[in-house]
Amino acid sequence: MSTRTDGRSAFVLGLLCALQAVAAEGPVAPAHPLDDPAALKAAFAARIARPVNVLAFTFGEHYAEALVQDAAASDEFDVFEAAPGQPMAEGKPKKAGEVDCKKKIPFAQLDLATGAHLLVQARAIAAANGYTVPENVLLGADIFCNQFGWRALLTSEANSDTMLEISWTPDGASPKARQLKDGDWVKLDMKTLAAGTAKPPAAAPKAEQKVIAGDGRARDFLRGIDADLARIEAQVGAPLGFRHISIDASQLAVDVFRPDNRKKVATWLVDAENGGIRLWREDETMMLDCNKPFAASDFPLAQLPALIAGAPALIPPMAQASIKNVAIYRSGFCGKPHVFIQIEDDRGYGNVEYDQRGKLVSAEIQ
Amino acid sequence: MARILWVGALALATAIAQAGEPVPSTDYAWPNLTDFLKQLVGKVGPPVKVYKLSMDRDGKVDLWIQDQAHPDLIDSYEYDHGKVEGPIPIKFEHYPSVAALDHHVIELTTIDFPRLPDMLATARAKLGLPDGRVVLIELERGDSSGFISLTDSPIWTFHLDSARHDGRVEFTLGGKVLDVDKD
Repeated sequence: MSTRTDGRSAFVLGLLCALQAVAAEGPVAPAHPLDDPAALKAAFAARIARPVNVLAFTFGEHYAEALVQDAAASDEFDVFEAAPGQPMAEGKPKKAGEVDCKKKIPFAQLDLATGAHLLVQARAIAAANGYTVPENVLLGADIFCNQFGWRALLTSEANSDTMLEISWTPDGASPKARQLKDGDWVKLDMKTLAAGTAKPPAAAPKAEQKVIAGDGRARDFLRGIDADLARIEAQVGAPLGFRHISIDASQLAVDVFRPDNRKKVATWLVDAENGGIRLWREDETMMLDCNKPFAASDFPLAQLPALIAGAPALIPPMAQASIKNVAIYRSGFCGKPHVFIQIEDDRGYGNVEYDQRGKLVSAEIQ
Repeated sequence: MARILWVGALALATAIAQAGEPVPSTDYAWPNLTDFLKQLVGKVGPPVKVYKLSMDRDGKVDLWIQDQAHPDLIDSYEYDHGKVEGPIPIKFEHYPSVAALDHHVIELTTIDFPRLPDMLATARAKLGLPDGRVVLIELERGDSSGFISLTDSPIWTFHLDSARHDGRVEFTLGGKVLDVDKD
């Protein structure tokens, strides 16, 4: 046998081995799926190799994924994935309970040429209107399991609170668009999109948080909050009218009515690590809430450390408990400000309540 | 008397541990309950009053029992590959009263452990999951999800899954099916 003949044999053998390997690994997805959607569909068909319905299909140039239902077993679902130029792996079973919407089309009706065309269209709209170019288009039902069709979701780098959704029927007809604006969906005319006049709405300016650096000293609010309340008062510029005070290991949180507008409550936070103060938020008061401020002189501020320290001993089975949190607010329906202390051990929780004079109201296991 | 009942319970648990027939590869590796309960009784003594029992996919057991020295408290004992850990204090958001705990607990002697393999087979059959894997097996007093009731009786719940489905079957202590739920 000549060397030349040996070489040919080796080549043929190698080719056969390669073909066998491809057959074992599964059909290969086309290198450029958007340019050859028919080949991509053929690869999916070969990999799935049985009659199925399509519940969802994600289609882009870098990745494609199908969620299918076995046509002969309606509670069997599988996910098939394709990457350009790569052999397709076997499908992965998906639990029936994880498939919320069963709207579908037969695989034969899956029109990837239309999908590729719609992705080009969506990208043109994104470019014309200043949205981020979408990676893919999706075929499937909407989140309410109503309309089944293709859709493209366009996001904006300039405003993460907005979104543009374009949807089509499975054959690519009846395009519709809507824009998420101020939390609501607003319908848009496709002509407006084509004209490039549906720019993302400007992002709302973020309110700057007022932050006052602390003295860098760690504090234990359970041993007293007088000094930090005085620092908050200095920031507010008027005697504090409290609605709620809460203390835990990491921070002191104080809700105070604004001195210039009693319909607004500001929440100030003091960090236990370094004493940093920040105005966290301001809220409108609610009509049915208790909106009657109380002053530092209306609750036992000076006694507070002793009341807190003595709380666990008031529930004998929890005498070794630690303090979980402390809150001071008007008791009942706008009554006097009481001190509420929650304690905690490795079995559970306990609650201790003192009145406005520091007199014990109750102490019991939760 | 308590000791006699306890010996009976241990014998019942032994029946599971000694089930010597070859099992399919998908079958559940039952924990050695005989060894666990023997070690447990060595620690706490009889009677053992069960608040809750659970066995996970890997055969790890978590048993909550009423502390007989302090009947207002529940402790957990864990069993994993022959090793018992506990007592681990159980923390409740709202601690039940002693009366509530006394009502909730199940005497260990009333638990028919040898029924468990049959109950697992029944659960698989009822769910149509012959290869269904155990996710969790639990025993606790409560009301069955299958119907409106206030019986507050001990219920075994078998949580199974397969590649395509999750399912749950509830049984009485005696092995009667109360509810089947599959998705």
